[in-house]
Amino acid sequence: MTSTGPLRDPANRVSPKAVRLWLLEALIAFVLFLGGSLLVARWVGGSGWSWVPGWFADNSWLLPGAVVVLILPFLAAEPFVRYAVHRWELSGDVVYARSGFLTREWVFVPVSRIQTVDKGQGWMERMLGLATLEIRTASHAGSSTIKGLDVQVAAGLAEQLAHRAEELRDDAT
Amino acid sequence: MPAPEPPPGGERRPYADGPPTPATDAPLPGRAPLRLSPKVLLIHPVRMLPSLLLPLVGVLFVGGFSARSYGWAALGVAGTVMFAIIRWATFTYEILGDRLETKRSLISRSVRTIPLERIRGVDVSTPPMHRLLGLAVLKIDTGASGGDEEAELDGVTPAEAERLKTVLLRRTARAETHVPDAEAAGPAERTIISVPRKWLLYGPLSGAYLLTPFALAGGAVGLTFQWGDELGFGQDAALSAGEWLWTHPYLLLVAVLLLVVAMPLVGGLMYAVFNWDFRLKHRDGYLVAERGLVNRRSVSLESGRVRGYEVVDGLAERWAGVVRAWAIVTGLGDSQTRGQLLPDVPRAVAVQVTADAIGPYRSVLRPHPPVARNRRLFRAVIPWLAVAALAAVPVWATGQVVWWILLVVALLLAGLGVPLGLDRYASLGHGYDGLRLAVRSGSLRRSQAVVERRAVVGWRLRQTWFQRRAGVLTLTAGVGAGKRGYSAIDVSVTQGATFPAEVTPEWLSPFTQPATPPPTG
Repeated sequence: MTSTGPLRDPANRVSPKAVRLWLLEALIAFVLFLGGSLLVARWVGGSGWSWVPGWFADNSWLLPGAVVVLILPFLAAEPFVRYAVHRWELSGDVVYARSGFLTREWVFVPVSRIQTVDKGQGWMERMLGLATLEIRTASHAGSSTIKGLDVQVAAGLAEQLAHRAEELRDDAT
Repeated sequence: MPAPEPPPGGERRPYADGPPTPATDAPLPGRAPLRLSPKVLLIHPVRMLPSLLLPLVGVLFVGGFSARSYGWAALGVAGTVMFAIIRWATFTYEILGDRLETKRSLISRSVRTIPLERIRGVDVSTPPMHRLLGLAVLKIDTGASGGDEEAELDGVTPAEAERLKTVLLRRTARAETHVPDAEAAGPAERTIISVPRKWLLYGPLSGAYLLTPFALAGGAVGLTFQWGDELGFGQDAALSAGEWLWTHPYLLLVAVLLLVVAMPLVGGLMYAVFNWDFRLKHRDGYLVAERGLVNRRSVSLESGRVRGYEVVDGLAERWAGVVRAWAIVTGLGDSQTRGQLLPDVPRAVAVQVTADAIGPYRSVLRPHPPVARNRRLFRAVIPWLAVAALAAVPVWATGQVVWWILLVVALLLAGLGVPLGLDRYASLGHGYDGLRLAVRSGSLRRSQAVVERRAVVGWRLRQTWFQRRAGVLTLTAGVGAGKRGYSAIDVSVTQGATFPAEVTPEWLSPFTQPATPPPTG
């Protein structure tokens, strides 16, 4: 569904637990949005400023309501869309990763150009046993971040990449 | 160094801190650490003067020009001079085997060690005061990102600068001669181009320094307010002068017009001063660019680290058929000023010079799909139409002149957006000649980057939701040099997959699927 022309999809999905991570993040974003819009609504609605239309001052709940209606579908869909989109593969000494939600990205990073491989875990990821792999080259455009990997998978991949990168190191950059 | 094998990208290897090899290859005059020329003592206090002036003047005013306040002021000046002397006396540099060490032992001791193999380039410049005293500033570029990581020897004699340049660049230059492209290493120096003086007339077209008159005027006004008191006519006078000007708007208009007229003139003058006698040379595996009238600047770029070039032309420049060029160099900080290969020169000359200095691009650029044109047009026109629509509401409601003006201006800009969008589309292109790839984009500032295939460190395809609807995407070649990534905007989905596969087939082949008809998006 998201393949680009002659390119096939990367072979591996990220961990199914990543959906939970993204749901959690969506929940936090939802709370922040709701809280923010409630604050703004109360502040503006109760201020009595002349430029605030009367109908809004009387029904200041409209703002958080609108925010919820607008963002809820996106936040609810995001984890599942991301799970469908996020995929990765290591073949022929090239890392091929796909990511994104509304904006999609396909990244190809040859192992020979890798400078560092970082495995990172935020507190939520730690809770869920997930990890993020950051594969860096000399260029940001040639660097890849794979989110939502299982810790073991990430550790294994990081190990493998670091090992192969050492063997293949190509200094032309 | 036991192994002469040249690692042209040795920067990623940790520097092996072995015992300093006896400097068999660097006959140094004396092993003692060297100091900067004592003549800098004449420069540093003078340079500190501006920052000292305000406090000094303050002291004099507060003290009412009494003997005591003069004493304090003298003390301040003496302190500055002392500080400069101590700074000079405590700073030493030395080349020890295969590294350069600079030491500063003012209050805390700091030693900075720079392995010679890390040195990417040496930049010698002579600001006016240095030139007067026969000194030069040597900047050593190590390719580290932060400015802190660079060494600066501020105030060496030109002879010493020349010697240091040779010693510092020798290691990397020798490694260079192993590269097959050794033709350049034969003669010590070869001038690729010496830009004729009459081409300086193209300067105003570049748009560089065009705002100088306004900056100067603004600076003058600011200075008047700041120093009005000291200069004897007071802030009130300046204020009332401003008020008087405000009541005579035509004078103000004339002043602005004069400034506008002065723009190309002053801008061109600045351009000429900075790009005076521009020379590009090949010297021992380095590309050396020299330029400048007042501050003569010489920038050395190691050829082995040059990965390509960027050719830039604005609207006016395109009309005159001239372009500017920059080198794309790995690990070059401040590449906008340092990497300049050519000031404004006719396109054909630029093509020839870049081909000679770095390498030619021998192919055409492929156009992007027509839907990219619609997207360019949409982006150039619709925002202004939206502004016009928003302005139309108050026009209809109030009919005030301000809204009319806004409406007309927005509509005019939307109209201009049509040729702009079309031109943006015409600029789009990408291509590959078997050795170098090229991408081009932009209209008001069109830029074509030509990058060696081996410099590509990865590919990124990016597709926004709108691009997905249109069946296009933005393809970025990650490059460990210059801007770190060069994008082909709005290529078709098929192009986005086939172009990387064409440039680096071994990377993409595992991921291309056999003949399935490409989905439309």
